[in-house]
Amino acid sequence: MTKKTILTVDDDPNIRDYLEAVFTDNGYNVVTAENGDKAMEMLKDLRPDLITLDVEMPDKSGPWVSRAIQKDSSLASIPIVVITGHSELTYIIPKAAAFLAKPFEADEVVRVVRGILGD
Amino acid sequence: MSESLLLVDDEEDIRRFLGLFLADLGYDVHAAANGEEALAVFDAVKPSIVLTDIKMPVMDGLELLKRLKARNPDTEVVMISGHGDMDLAISCLQNDAADFVTKPINHDILDAALKRIDEKLSMRRELRQYTQNLEKLVREKSSRVVELERQLAAGQMAETMCQAISGLSADLGEGAGYFNEMPCFVAVHNASLAVVATNQLYKDRLGDMVGHHSWEAYAGQALRGADGPIRKTFETGKGQRSRETMLCKNGRELPVMVHTSPIAATNGKVELVLEMAVDVSEIKRLQEELRVTQQKYMDLFDATPCYIAVRDRQGKVVANNRRFVEDFGEGVGRTCHDVFTHRPEPCQDCPAEQTFADGEPHFQETVVTTRDGRQRNVLISTAAIRNAAGEVVEVMEMAADITSIRELQSHLTSLGLMLGSISHGVKGMLTALEGAVYRVESGLRRGDVARSQAAAEAVKALVGRVRALVLNVLYYAKSRELAPETVDAAAFAASLAQTVAPKAVREGVTLDADIASDLGEMSVDAANLQAALVNILENAVDACVADTAKPEHRIAFRVSRQDRSIVFDIEDDGMGMDQETREKAFTLFFSSKGLRGTGLGLFIAHDMVAKHGGAIDLTSQPGVGTRFVVRIPDTPPVVEAASAAQSA
Repeated sequence: MTKKTILTVDDDPNIRDYLEAVFTDNGYNVVTAENGDKAMEMLKDLRPDLITLDVEMPDKSGPWVSRAIQKDSSLASIPIVVITGHSELTYIIPKAAAFLAKPFEADEVVRVVRGILGD
Repeated sequence: MSESLLLVDDEEDIRRFLGLFLADLGYDVHAAANGEEALAVFDAVKPSIVLTDIKMPVMDGLELLKRLKARNPDTEVVMISGHGDMDLAISCLQNDAADFVTKPINHDILDAALKRIDEKLSMRRELRQYTQNLEKLVREKSSRVVELERQLAAGQMAETMCQAISGLSADLGEGAGYFNEMPCFVAVHNASLAVVATNQLYKDRLGDMVGHHSWEAYAGQALRGADGPIRKTFETGKGQRSRETMLCKNGRELPVMVHTSPIAATNGKVELVLEMAVDVSEIKRLQEELRVTQQKYMDLFDATPCYIAVRDRQGKVVANNRRFVEDFGEGVGRTCHDVFTHRPEPCQDCPAEQTFADGEPHFQETVVTTRDGRQRNVLISTAAIRNAAGEVVEVMEMAADITSIRELQSHLTSLGLMLGSISHGVKGMLTALEGAVYRVESGLRRGDVARSQAAAEAVKALVGRVRALVLNVLYYAKSRELAPETVDAAAFAASLAQTVAPKAVREGVTLDADIASDLGEMSVDAANLQAALVNILENAVDACVADTAKPEHRIAFRVSRQDRSIVFDIEDDGMGMDQETREKAFTLFFSSKGLRGTGLGLFIAHDMVAKHGGAIDLTSQPGVGTRFVVRIPDTPPVVEAASAAQSA
């Protein structure tokens, strides 16, 4: 069985490193992007099985990335896990598959991702 | 009066004797020897009767007759002929001679002829006089009619005008109630200084003065005689304006302001004068009321514990109250953003601009800078000032100084606000810390030493960040007294550089520390002062990171002793600050770092330096860099410690 790929979009390198370690340890391929533009650039060729998306990033923020993905029919079906420190912000990304509030533990993020991907 | 008569004959005897005869009849006799001479005398004397011989040298009688009639057809000319020549007689009568007398002259005939002439002359005179009288009479009558019509029209005009004024004031309703209360006496006067017409109010208050002398309505007329504004208007042809005293019909004296206006005929002569007198006692009362009201508003304007400025559409201050002037200097003529923020360009989200746009009040909380450089937290509320047409012409800005409220909040409610504003940062840090710990563990589990080591470094950095934040919050939550200890200044400065160095290295910023070795000792609250100075140094690193315009950055950290102070000079070549950022840099919750800053750091640093009796001097230029010069006395002022913190 081929490994599933997760795209992690977050401007904080500590969090990118964290998620990369967690997903890698649990048998996923991980690609990271530090902002919205880089993420969309990667998504020209890349078709990940799941995207984790930070809400607050400089320039192109989470909602912007989410909208850009929804607009592209070849990307619209990819589930998005929104990671945010503002738990009250869930409404701004309506099509998200799940919300994960900071701070979170490794087990928690793995459980959520596995639930969505049916692993 | 004797009739003058010209006798013309070439014979001297006839002139003499006939002349005597005519003089006896009562004529004023002039004589001439021929026609030419006769014309000269005629021109000089203008006689009504001429007696002339026909046969004369130079110019004969017939020719003279024609010339005389040409000069004045009313001249009665009697022709005297030596012989009864019928043709000549007819020719003379055709030329309008009065009579024809033959020589030798029969005195009775001549007498009768002259009598007829006399009758004719006197009839003609009477007729002329009568005609002239008639013309004069018609002129007089018609001018009287015109005068009466004009006076009638003027009276109607005055009355109509008064009706219009009272109608207008009635239409305006209660808002113009005072207009109804303002008596205005209107009268029209003619050139004989007589009242021709008045309005009803005039009649009611001053009596029916139509037909009276113009000056009778004025008090003290006995002293002034006919003199007064009406007469002056007729004399000068110009409208007059004066304070007078008028007499009511009940004898009471009434102070009035009199305006007169000449009404000229088409020939420019003043025929009538319109007089309008306003009861000044009423105006005086209203003026006093208005003055008192205005004074109350001005007192309120000045006494309000707010900065009040009124600005126009161009942003220029047109009025300011006393408190405004005290703290910001005279603002009139300057732009409000210049006065409030010392910046040349208008503020973003200016509430006054919004009020100009929609006429509604708007509010904004901001930080402004007084003329002596103090920062003030203010809550600005705006209100539209409209003109009669309802357009917003000016906006009043009331800025309530809430600095002290902010200071009060600092230990209580704003702690919650602050925790809210920094909670996102805290959550991010905790997540990162969680992640770093996870990576340390997973690295250890898998025997991946490199991963564990990298993660351990991240743990250290993150713990440092968490620690600084927690210290800030604790410091803020509890205003602590200084706990001074004696430290070696150079060692203290070196520890600052060491604390910041890892962050600088990580961010690729060169940190050049130049610490003099002979700094000696200083007595400071080392932990807190260190936190304050580290904060400034870390800000310098952040300012370098934020500046993407330059490829590499450098921070110069120089520490020296100047007299009794240790000077920490921190200069970066990062993004720099504009004036507003510079002025607000030390205020609570102001952060130029967006979500990455809490707005706490520099506020606390400033507070701590002030508690040590020191000062921070900040210079900065956008795009060039920022320089903080922090002076700390080597011994803190013990007594003033608390008050220094307050005044900061």
